[in-house]
Amino acid sequence: MSLRLARTLTAAYFGLMLVFVTWPGFVPFARVEPLVLGLPFSMAWIAAWIAGSVVVLFLLDRVEKRYRDEDDPRADPRAGPMDGGDT
Amino acid sequence: MEQWVVVTIVISAYLALTLTIGMLAGRRSTDSVAGYVAADRSFGLLVMYFVTGASVFSAFAFLGGPGWAYSRGAAALYILAYGALGMAPFYWIGPRVAALGRRHGYVTQAQMITGRFPSKGLSALIALLSLIAFVPYVTLQMRGAGIVIEAVTDGNVPIWLGSLVAYGIVIIYVLSSGAMAVGWTNTFQGVFMVVIAWTLGLYLPNRLYGGIGEMFAQIDAARPEHLVPPGLTATGDPWTWGAFSTFILVSAVGLMMWPHLFMKAFTAKDDDTMRRTVILFPTFQLFLIPVFLIGFSGVLFAGTPQAPDFILPFMILETELPAIVVGLFCAGALSASMSTGDALLHASASVFVEDGVAKFVDLEERTQRRLMQLLVLLTGATAYVFAQDPDSSLVLLLASAYGIICQFAPPVVAALYWRRATTAGVTAGLVAGALTAFFFWQTPELKPFDMHEGIIGLLVHVPVLVGVSLATPAQDEAHVENFMA
Repeated sequence: MSLRLARTLTAAYFGLMLVFVTWPGFVPFARVEPLVLGLPFSMAWIAAWIAGSVVVLFLLDRVEKRYRDEDDPRADPRAGPMDGGDT
Repeated sequence: MEQWVVVTIVISAYLALTLTIGMLAGRRSTDSVAGYVAADRSFGLLVMYFVTGASVFSAFAFLGGPGWAYSRGAAALYILAYGALGMAPFYWIGPRVAALGRRHGYVTQAQMITGRFPSKGLSALIALLSLIAFVPYVTLQMRGAGIVIEAVTDGNVPIWLGSLVAYGIVIIYVLSSGAMAVGWTNTFQGVFMVVIAWTLGLYLPNRLYGGIGEMFAQIDAARPEHLVPPGLTATGDPWTWGAFSTFILVSAVGLMMWPHLFMKAFTAKDDDTMRRTVILFPTFQLFLIPVFLIGFSGVLFAGTPQAPDFILPFMILETELPAIVVGLFCAGALSASMSTGDALLHASASVFVEDGVAKFVDLEERTQRRLMQLLVLLTGATAYVFAQDPDSSLVLLLASAYGIICQFAPPVVAALYWRRATTAGVTAGLVAGALTAFFFWQTPELKPFDMHEGIIGLLVHVPVLVGVSLATPAQDEAHVENFMA
C-alpha cells in the first residue's frame, strides 16, 4: 500500500469517527439497547471506535515504517502529511 | 485498629514509595535546562506511554468522570470519545516537533512557535495564557487529593492537611529532579491507577447488582433518560447535542496543546517511541470504562454523596470494603491527582521562565533552573490557596481552561505546515480567539447552539489568522526554509 493511501485511509477513519461520535452521526446509535458485553449500546459504540483506532494506527505504522526503513524522503517527519504521493 | 488508621498507613506507604521513586529518578538526569525540562530527551516507550496516559488522566477523570456518570449519565461519554481523536494527529506532528526540538534546541511549545514567528510579545502571551489555564487545573488536582483523603479518613485528615502533604511531596520531587522524576513516578502511578480502576469497576456492579448488564438494565428501567446520549445537565435537564459535540471537539483539539503534554514530544528518546505511544494511547482511554462503571453503580444506590464528585469515595465507604482496599483505592485516586499535578507544576514553571522571563532578560542556565524551581513553589502555593475554597467550581474552570488551550492549535499547525503564515497573523488570531472564548465564557446565554466557547473562539481565530497573514508581507523565504528544513 502506498504511503499516501495509508495516510488518507487513516485520516478518513478519524474523520468518520468524529462524525459518528458527535451530532448528527451519533444520533442513530445513541441508545441503550442492545447491551453489548453488558454496556449500553452508545458506550460500546464509542469503545469500538477507540479499539478500531488502535488497529488503524498500527497498520498505518507498518506502512510508514517500510518507507522509513528505505529512507524514503516522503516518510521524513519534516515532509507534510500529504506529501506521500507517488508522483 | 480503626479503619481510618489502616487507611492512613496504606496512603503513607504509597506516598513514601512515590517520593523514593521521584528522588532516585533525579539522579539519572544532568544538571542542565534540557535535563530539567526535557529529561535529556531520554524517555523510552514504557515511560512515555505511562507519562502521557497518567498526565492525561487526572483527578478530573478519576473523580469527575464517575461524578458525571453518576449525576449526568450518558453526558460522561464525551470524556471517552475525544482522547483517541485528539491524539492521532500526533503520529505526524509529534516526530516533526521533536525533530525541530533537536535541531533548534526547543524545550517548550512557545519556543517552537516563536522560532517560526519571532516575537517576544507572542512568547509572553503564550506563557501568560498557559499560566492562566494551568492554575485552575493544578487547583483541581490538589483539591481532588484533599477530598479523597478527607473522605476516607472520616475527616481525621482535613482537606488542607491532605492536599498539603500530597503536594508537599510532589513539589519536593519536581524541585529536585524535574522531568525525570515526573516520568518515573508517572509510570508507577499509571500502573497503579489502571489496576485499581479495573478492579473496582468490575467489583462494584457485580457486588451491588449482580453484573454489569444487570446494572444497566435496572438503571434503564428506573431512569431511562439517564443512559441516553447526550445525557443530562448538572441540574438534571436534558443536555444539548450542541454542547455534547463541541465539548468533544474542543477537548480533542485542546488535548495535546496542553503545554505539559505537548512538551512530551521533546522528552521522547526517538521518533519510534513517540509513534508507538500514539498508537497505544487509545488503550489508556478504555480505562475510563471501569471508572464510569463505578459512577453508574451509584445511580440506584440508596444514599447520596455530598457532591457528585464524591461518588467514588462514597461508594467505596458505603460498600464496606476492607480497610486495606480503601487505602489502595485512595492511593489510586492520589496517583491520578499527583501524576497530573506534578506534570502541570513542572510545565508551568518551565513555560513561564523559558518563554516569559528568559526572552526579556539574559539568564545563565543555572539561574534559569533556579528560577524554574522557585516558580514551581509559587504556582503550587497559589493553587494551594485556591484549593482551600469550598465553593470553587473547578470542573467549570477546567472546561474554560480548555477554551484557552485549544487556541494554541492554529499557531502550532501554522508554524509547522503553512509557509505563508506571518507573525502578525498568528498573534492577531491568538488574541482574537482568546478574547472571543473569554467573552462567551462570561456570557454563556449568547452562545449559538450551546456551543463550547473554545470552538466559537476557534471559529473567529482561524479566519483572523488566515486573513491577517495574507494581508501582511510573507516571511523571508530563507527564514521559513531554515525553520522547516
